[in-house]
Amino acid sequence: MSKCILKSLSLFLIIVLLLPLGLVGCGEEKSSGKILTIAYDKDADTLDHFKTGVYSDALIYVYDRLVTRDYNYNYVPGLAESWDVSDDGTVWTFYLRKGVKFHDGTPLTAEDVAWCIEKIIDPETGSPAQSDFAAVESAKAVDEHTVEIHLKHPFPNLLFILSNTVAGIASKEAYEKYGDEYGSKYLVGSGPYMFEEWKRGEEIVLKKNPDYDWGPEWMENGGKPIIDKLVFKVIPEETTRLMELEAGNVHILRDITANVLLQLEDNEDIQIYSTESTRLGYLAYACDKEPFTDIRVRRALNHAINKEEIIKYVFRDTAQPAYGYLPPKLKDEYYPNSKEEGYEYDVEKAKELLKEAGYGDGLKLTLAAENSTEYSRLAEVIQNQLKEVGIEVDIQLYDSSSYTAMLKEGKQELFLRQYSWPNADILDWFLLSSQLPYPNHSRWNDPKTDELIQRAATMPTWEERALAYHDVQKHLIEQAVWAPIYIPNHSIAVRKEVKNFKHHPWMIQYNDGIDLEN
Amino acid sequence: MIPLLIGLTLIVFLILHLAPGDPVDLMVGPNVTPEVYENVRNKLGLDKPLYVQYFTFLKNVLRGDLGTSILKNVPVKDLIAERFPITLKLGVLSLLVSFAIAIPIGIQAAKYRNTPVDYLSMTFALVGISIPTFGFGLTLLYIFAYKLRWFPVSGHDTLLHLVLPVFTVGLTDAAVTARMVRSSMLEVMGEDYIRTARSKGLSEKVVMNKHALKNALISVITLLGMRMGWILGGSAILETVFSIPGLGRLMVDGIFSRDYPVVQGSMLVLGVSVLVGNLIADILYALVDPRIKY
Repeated sequence: MSKCILKSLSLFLIIVLLLPLGLVGCGEEKSSGKILTIAYDKDADTLDHFKTGVYSDALIYVYDRLVTRDYNYNYVPGLAESWDVSDDGTVWTFYLRKGVKFHDGTPLTAEDVAWCIEKIIDPETGSPAQSDFAAVESAKAVDEHTVEIHLKHPFPNLLFILSNTVAGIASKEAYEKYGDEYGSKYLVGSGPYMFEEWKRGEEIVLKKNPDYDWGPEWMENGGKPIIDKLVFKVIPEETTRLMELEAGNVHILRDITANVLLQLEDNEDIQIYSTESTRLGYLAYACDKEPFTDIRVRRALNHAINKEEIIKYVFRDTAQPAYGYLPPKLKDEYYPNSKEEGYEYDVEKAKELLKEAGYGDGLKLTLAAENSTEYSRLAEVIQNQLKEVGIEVDIQLYDSSSYTAMLKEGKQELFLRQYSWPNADILDWFLLSSQLPYPNHSRWNDPKTDELIQRAATMPTWEERALAYHDVQKHLIEQAVWAPIYIPNHSIAVRKEVKNFKHHPWMIQYNDGIDLEN
Repeated sequence: MIPLLIGLTLIVFLILHLAPGDPVDLMVGPNVTPEVYENVRNKLGLDKPLYVQYFTFLKNVLRGDLGTSILKNVPVKDLIAERFPITLKLGVLSLLVSFAIAIPIGIQAAKYRNTPVDYLSMTFALVGISIPTFGFGLTLLYIFAYKLRWFPVSGHDTLLHLVLPVFTVGLTDAAVTARMVRSSMLEVMGEDYIRTARSKGLSEKVVMNKHALKNALISVITLLGMRMGWILGGSAILETVFSIPGLGRLMVDGIFSRDYPVVQGSMLVLGVSVLVGNLIADILYALVDPRIKY
């Protein structure tokens, strides 16, 4: 009998080895048409954009928004052809484009728009974006193509939040009809691409909306999509993503790290598009704890950081130094004197300030960070730099869930953070005293900051708002609330088969003339 | 078997809930009003004391309800039904490949013990035990998929997709099993009945393959259940490297996002598979060894 077992096992082995060879040449059944594949490190949890704070890119193409952002970050009409604001700044009236249809053929009307906005602000929904819409009192459909949004106070930033992914206009009827299955099996928007299927953990497939021609004016040809299908593929391992890109099975990789960048530089089949991003990385500290309560210590920390060294060794020159609290890409809101009024690298000055504050004998602090390769490298370099000024640092790394839990509990001393946000209201988010203890993990509780931010956030026009945010930044720099360090480049790798690719500062616009050569 | 399972679920439950990190935070974000936060938390039943939550979980399991994923809002049963088959398929195929490779190698190593054949086999064993699945998988991927283009890089649609992952685990596992086959064979070969068979004039081939192997296989088969558990447990790494949407990855993602129902459900299913694997091993054991009767 053992011979039998042995024989059958060997037979099986032979079959297993030969089968694949037999299958080579069978070829995959290739669906026809232009199929563009973009790879991601993780899948979406849900595609219900009202219920999640993490938006799959797919949501950007399935839905349209009232307002769009063009290549220069200007706010340009989208679903709304035009809008006007009442004299007191609290009522905005949006006039919708006519002839827009949802993917199921039903017309998009003001009722859908008003319903979507009301859904976001409704506490029952539990939308993470509810706070962004805090200034919105209500939204109502005046007639089939006119929507009125009533605000609690003037809020020129309304255009920003209405151009965000969360403000994608979904079909009220479809959402209510499909209930719990909406966002996993069904999605009904009016965007250039329609939801085809979602194989969880694997990929999201969108197919082009043949009727779409109501794209914003800054798009080619009314935003009519050329590519037939978009596949958002999940490939968790970075090396595997890279291999697939080089093999040509994946066409685009967004958010590539410095390592990957270096590997792809010499590859002729792949084009890298790099621009300055709207992200900012900084060293923060719990401002309500000693020694950080002393402004001299905070300034000393700023002087102790050698930004250039960090950008060279940690980011391999794929980043810019950050001098202020906003990325310069936000051209209106960025405070132009950030560098001059900021703190340049000066070890002696740092030591002097620490001595004045009574820490001439040195300090012992903990530095917390998330446990990615980049953050741990950054932490080590900073540990070294702080050693030069007499501060001994103990590094503590956390996985992201435990990190947020720790910050919420307020156990941090020094810690590293990075934000990615294209608007000045990020300062409200992190530094208003009402945001204590989280997300105001700097534990900054300052009436002057609150006053300056409130003033800026409620200015009647965009220009006045931007200027008022300059005052906010000036104050924050002077108070050394953070030690800003770097602004990473945003790099996208694109295969040469992708034609007419344009680098949009916010998100790739697949229906703006992008084509695929087979 | 049941007490084992209950113990398993209790341990997993406790570890998950005692770890820092809050799934509700991950869902609603940090900036919602306390009412909204409490609302969501209560809806999920996370406000109840731990022992109540645990018994609710057990009660539901007995009714076949593994709960609903906190972040995905989909029944855990459905998620597992989508992901488990591929993990199981990979596991079973890997095990079969492993045994198919290990048994002949183990036999030859025992037969030609202390000769170059033996040393070569045991070196193979040492390498196999020491190599991390992650590194080996990526290496195979690099050589055979990327450079030679013999196999696809990611996914799991066709049998072709499965070859590399199955061989990654199959080869490394074979190394461990080969050693066991060898030592088992050597032990058996020293027995009296082997000497009897030889003295009866039977050929070496018959002695080895008919008499020795059958008895050696007994201990090897008991390995089956253990190896199955090891292979299933390590599937998360394999699934990450080869981009396969299996149960291992579902569980690991669930752990990182503190999605308690997903982790509890996955652990339960994996635990049951391991126990079933052991059960199968016991049955095979009885088939192979006529002395054992159940």
